[in-house]
Amino acid sequence: MSKNILQIEHLNIDFETMDGKFAAVNDVSFNLGYDQSIGIIGESGCGKSTLALALMGYVATNGTIAGKILFKGEDLLTKSDKELVKYRGNRIAMVFQNPESALNPALTIGAQLDEVGLYHQKLAKTEARKASIEALKMLNIGDPHGIVKRYPHQISGGIQQRVSIAMAILCRPDLMILDEPTTALDVTTEAVILDSLNNLREKLKMSLIYISHDMGVINKVSEQIVVMYNGEMVEKGPKHQIFDHPHHPYTRALINCMPRGGVVKEKTALNTIPGYVKRRGVAETGCPFVERCTKWNKTCEGLYGIREVGKDHIAACDRAYASDVPVKDLPLKTPKPKDATESTTDLLKIEELYKIYGKRRKIYAVNGINVSIKSKSVLGIVGESGCGKSTTAHMVSGLYEPTAGKIWFKGTNIAKAWNKRSLEILKEIQLIFQNPGRSLNPSHTVEQIIGRPMQILANVKTRPQRRQAIIKILKRVDLGAEYLSKKPRNLSGGEQQRVAIARALSINPNLVVCDEPTSALDVSVQASVLNLLNTLQSESEASYLFISHDLHVINYISDYIMVMYGGKICEYGKRDEVMEAPYHPYTEALLSAMPEVDPKKAPQAIALKEQLPDPSKKQQGCPFAGRCHKQVGEICAQEYPPLVRHSASHYQYCHIKY
Amino acid sequence: MSRIVIFIFSKLGSLLATLVIMSFIIFMLVELMPGDVAQMILGQSATEEAVSALREARGLNEPILKRYALWIKGVVFGDLGESIYMQGVAINSILWRRVGHSLILALTAFLMFVPLSLFFGVLAGVKEHKLSDSIISFFGLATMALPEFVSGVFLISIFALKLKWFPIVSVIPIGESLLSNLNIVLLPAFSITFVMFGYVSRMQRSSMIQVMHSDYIRAATLKGMPRSYVIFRHALKNALLPSITIIGMNMGWLFGGLVVVETLFGFPGMGTLLMSAIKTRDVPLIEACVLLITVIFSLSTVATDLLYSALNPKIRLTGGQR
Amino acid sequence: MNTFFYQLKRSPLAILGILIIFIWILIAIFGPSLMYYTHTHIDSEHQMVKPGVNRHLLGTDALGRDLLSRIVYGSRSILTVALLTSIVSTFLGIIFGFTAGYFGGRLDSLFLQTMNILMAIPPLVLSMVVLGILGDSTIFSLTLIVSITFIPATARVSRGVLLTEKNQEYVSAAHIRGESHLYVMFIEILPNTIGPIIVEATARFAYSIMMVASLGFLGVGLQPPTPDWGMMVIENKEIMTQAPWAILFPALAIASLVIAISIFSDFVSKVLIHE
Repeated sequence: MSKNILQIEHLNIDFETMDGKFAAVNDVSFNLGYDQSIGIIGESGCGKSTLALALMGYVATNGTIAGKILFKGEDLLTKSDKELVKYRGNRIAMVFQNPESALNPALTIGAQLDEVGLYHQKLAKTEARKASIEALKMLNIGDPHGIVKRYPHQISGGIQQRVSIAMAILCRPDLMILDEPTTALDVTTEAVILDSLNNLREKLKMSLIYISHDMGVINKVSEQIVVMYNGEMVEKGPKHQIFDHPHHPYTRALINCMPRGGVVKEKTALNTIPGYVKRRGVAETGCPFVERCTKWNKTCEGLYGIREVGKDHIAACDRAYASDVPVKDLPLKTPKPKDATESTTDLLKIEELYKIYGKRRKIYAVNGINVSIKSKSVLGIVGESGCGKSTTAHMVSGLYEPTAGKIWFKGTNIAKAWNKRSLEILKEIQLIFQNPGRSLNPSHTVEQIIGRPMQILANVKTRPQRRQAIIKILKRVDLGAEYLSKKPRNLSGGEQQRVAIARALSINPNLVVCDEPTSALDVSVQASVLNLLNTLQSESEASYLFISHDLHVINYISDYIMVMYGGKICEYGKRDEVMEAPYHPYTEALLSAMPEVDPKKAPQAIALKEQLPDPSKKQQGCPFAGRCHKQVGEICAQEYPPLVRHSASHYQYCHIKY
Repeated sequence: MSRIVIFIFSKLGSLLATLVIMSFIIFMLVELMPGDVAQMILGQSATEEAVSALREARGLNEPILKRYALWIKGVVFGDLGESIYMQGVAINSILWRRVGHSLILALTAFLMFVPLSLFFGVLAGVKEHKLSDSIISFFGLATMALPEFVSGVFLISIFALKLKWFPIVSVIPIGESLLSNLNIVLLPAFSITFVMFGYVSRMQRSSMIQVMHSDYIRAATLKGMPRSYVIFRHALKNALLPSITIIGMNMGWLFGGLVVVETLFGFPGMGTLLMSAIKTRDVPLIEACVLLITVIFSLSTVATDLLYSALNPKIRLTGGQR
Repeated sequence: MNTFFYQLKRSPLAILGILIIFIWILIAIFGPSLMYYTHTHIDSEHQMVKPGVNRHLLGTDALGRDLLSRIVYGSRSILTVALLTSIVSTFLGIIFGFTAGYFGGRLDSLFLQTMNILMAIPPLVLSMVVLGILGDSTIFSLTLIVSITFIPATARVSRGVLLTEKNQEYVSAAHIRGESHLYVMFIEILPNTIGPIIVEATARFAYSIMMVASLGFLGVGLQPPTPDWGMMVIENKEIMTQAPWAILFPALAIASLVIAISIFSDFVSKVLIHE
C-alpha cells in the first residue's frame, strides 16, 4: 500500500466559455500522505476551488478534465457518478465557504445530518440520530438536541459551519477538504473552529486539505503548504521552510504583501505585485507569473519547471532567490516621512452617538459612544460583525441618521443624514465602500463616475476642465488616461477600488471614511490599495476614518485605534498603545485569535464562549461580560464599566483595576 | 399558537378591507357609466313618463351613496337584489346555480392543470438541455401563448367536429343537472388547462433549474447522496414552493379564461350570465356577478398566501428560538 | 449587443420567432394596399365559400367578406393596440414602481394596497365590464383599460428591480454627494434595471394581443368596420360546421403572432438576464 492517501498526477481542467477555452488548472501534481495536512494558498483565479471540487470527481458542465487523481490507489476520474457516490461524504468529505448556502433551507438540521448515516452506513433511524448528536458534540455545539430540530435560518453562521463539519465527519472520512470555511466568519469564531478542526484531526486520524487565501489560517491547521498561481502549482513545502526560504518569486511576494505585527507604515510600504491575473488560454506554456515577476530575465523560459529545492520542498522556479541571497527584502519602497509634530486639534468630535433600530423590538446598533478624530491622522476602528463600526462610519459619512447624539465638524453639528446636510459639508466628507464593484455604477464610464462629484460639489463647470482634473487624479491612483472611457465591469477589483478612491478624493475632502475598503480584495491587491491610501493621506491635509475587522490591516494603516464591541467602545489609543499591554480583555482575545503569517509565532487563541451579544437587549453592564475571560465578577454584567485612563491618549472601559 | 391566529386574522382583515373598497368601486363604476339604464331597457321609442316611472320603480332616483348603502346592506344579509332586465326576478335564484356550474368547471380545470404542469415542469427542469426538456418547454411556450378561445376552437375542430367525442356546445338539457352531464365540462376545462399548463409548467421548470444549480444541492451531491434521492428529498420541496405563489397569482387568468370559455362553449355558468347582463345593461346583475367573482378570486388568493406561509419554514418559524 | 447576435446564431427557434414577427409587421404596414378585396366588401354570391374560390384566398365569412383581407386589415389595429399598451403600461409601471420602491415607507404601503385592490378583480373581467358598459371601444379606450389592468404586473417588476439596486453602494455614493432623488432614480438606477423591464415589456406585448383578442371575442373589442380577429371568431362560431376556415384562420393568426412574440420574449430574457 502506498504511503500516500492521495496522488494527483498531471491534472488539467479546462473550461469552455464565450471568450474561448481557458485553463483553470494546469498540470498540477502533488501527493498527500496519510494523516497529513496540506494547505493550498492562492488568490482569486488560481484554480484552488476548481481543484478541490475535482478531487470529489466534480466538475462543471462546461469543463473538461484530464490526468489522474489516485485516492488510495484508485483513479477517481475513471469512476462514474454512481461509483463516486460511495466515496463522497463517506471517504472524502467537503466543507464549503458559505455555510448558509450549503444547507438546504427546507430541511431540518437533523434530517440533513441523519441522511449521511442512513445512506452511507445503512444505520437505523435512531442510530443515525445518535451518531448525528455525537458528531455535534464533537464540535462543541451546545444543545445538540435542540439544534437538530431547527432549520438552517434559525442558527448563526458559526454554528452552521460547525454543523457542516459535523456532517463531514459522520462517516469518519479518510480525507476532508475544506474550501475557505472560515472566510465568511468572525475572527473569534474562526479561532474556535480551527481549534476544533485540530482536535478532530488528532482524534480521527484524518488527512486534511485546507484551502485559503490567508497564510496565517493555513499555518494553524496544516504542516505543508501548496502555493497556486493562475492554475499552476508554483511551490510546495513545509510551512516553516516556505516562510523562511520562499523560492518562487510569487510565494515571496505573496508573503511580503501580508500586513503583520512589526510592519508599520512609518518604516516601510507593503510589498505589492505589479499587474494583475489574466486567464490562461489552453495553448499557453511557460511560467504563468512571467509578466508580473520582478526577477524576470531572458533565460526564464527555458529553465521553467518543477524541481526540488530542499527537503520535501519543490518549486517551479529557484533562480530568483539563490540560497545565499538574504531573504525577505521587505522595504522595497519608503513612503514620505510624516510630519513629526502630532496634531492636537480635533477634526471631528462624536458625542453620545446612538443608533437604535425598530420600535417595539429594538436593535441597539450603536449604544452611546464618544470619540474624536484628530486632524491629519488616521483613526482605525476595529471590531467584529455587529459591533457597530460600520454603523458609526455610516452616521459620520451621512448615510444614516443618528437616533441621538452629536457629531461636531468644523463648528457645526452634522449628526444628520445626507439629505439634510449642506453641500459644503458633503464636499468635506467622502466615503469609500467595501465592495468596489457595487460602489461604481456599472452603466457609467470612469470619466462620468469621477467627474460627477467634481461637477456638483467642486464646481468644476466645463467638461474639458473636468477631464483635465480627472486625468490628474487618475495619475495619482496609478491609472492612465485610457481608463476614462472604461466601464467598471472591464476593470479588475483593484482598479475599481482605485477609481472609487479617485472619485472620493477628486474634491479634496477633509475627512475620508473608508468602510472596509480592502476586505473584498485579494491580498496582493489589498497591499497596493493600502499603500495608495497611506501615500494619499500623508500627502494631504485630510484625516481618514478606517474601518476593518482585520487587526493586521488596522495596525498597518492607523495612527489611532478604537476597538468596538456590542455597540460600545472598549479601548482607544495610539496604535502602539493599543497593540501592547495593558489590554482590554476583548482586544487581547482579538489579538490572540488573529492568524499569524509567521508560523513561528503561533499565539494560543483565547477561547471565548459562543454567546454573541444580543443587540435587541439594552445592556446594563459591559457588553463583553458574558464572554470575558477576565471577568471581575457580578459587577461586570450589572454596571457599565468606568473609563480607565492609561495615558493622555489611551483609555479603556473596564472594571479591572490596574 | 396565538401568533398564527393573529397572522390569519390579519390576512382576512385586509381581505375584508379590500373587498369593501372593491365593492364600492364596482358599484360606482357600474352605476356611473354613461347611458341611462332605464332608457336602454325600454328602448329608444319609450316615452319620458315610462322611463321615469321605471327609474322610480327601481329606486334609481335615490342619491348614489344611499343606493350603495342599501345594496351593501342587502349583500351582507344575502340578498343580492333584483334583476332589472328580468322584471324584478331575485338575482339569488338565478345566480347561485350558475356559480355552482362555474365552480365545477374551474375545479375540473384546476385538477387537470396543476398536477400536469407541476409534473412536467419538474421533469423539464431535471432534464435541462436534453431533448425532453426542449419538447416540454416548447409545448409550454406554445400553449401559454394561445388565448383560451383559440385553443378552444382547435379542440372543438378536432374532438367535436372531426372525432365527435364531445358535444360542440355545452348545454344542459332542461330538467337535468350538470352532474349528470359531466361530459360537457371536459372540453371547456381542457381549453383553460392549456394556457395555465403552459405558464405554470414553465415557471416550475425555471424554479426547478434554479434549485438544481444551487449550492445546497451541490453540497448534497457531494455528500454522496445519489441523484434521484437528491431530486426527491432535497430539490422538490424547494422547487415546488414558489409554484404555490405562481398558481395563486395566475388564478386571475383562470377566472378570465372561465368567462371566455363559457362563452365559446355556451356553458351555463357565471361568465355567460355576466356577458348577458352586460349586454342588457342589467346593473344589479352586473354588480352581483362582479362582486361574487371578486370575492371568490380574493379568497383563493388569500388561501394560496396562507398555504405558502404554512409550508415555508422561514415564514412559519420567524422569531422562533434563537 | 454582441451577446445578442452570438446567442441568436445558436437559437434557430428565436430566429424563426423574429422572422414571424417581422412578417406580420410587414403585413400590417403594406398588406392592406395589396389586397384584392377590401375588408368590408360584401360578395353576396360567395358567402361561406372555401378558400380559393373567386380570388378569396382564404375563403369568405358568413356575410361574404374576404377573410384574407379582414385578417390583414385586422393586423394593423391589433398590433397598434398591443404596442401602445405595452409601452404605456411599462412607462406607468416604471413611474409607480420606482416611486414606491425608492421612497418606501407609507408611499410604498399605499402602492401595495392599491395594487392589491386592482388585482382583486380578474383583469379580463374588469376590462370586459368597463368596455361593455362604455359601449363602442376605440383604440384609445382599449389601450387605456388594458394598460390599467397590466400596471400591477409592470409596476411589480419595476419596483422589484429598483429595490435590488437601491441597496447597492453606488446609490449610497450618489446620495452622499447630494444628488437629487430624480437623478438617482433615472440616471443612476434606471440604466441598470433596463434588462428585466424590457423583458417584461415584451411579455406584456404578447399578453396584450391575447387580451385584445379575447375582448374582441367577448364582443367588446374594436367595433366594425375595423376587423377584430377575436370578433371574427365569435361572429362565425355559428357556421363552424359549414365553414370552419372562418374561425380557423383568425385563430391561427392570433396563435402565430402570440407564439412568435413569446419566443422572442423568452430569447430577450435569456440574453439580457443571464449575461
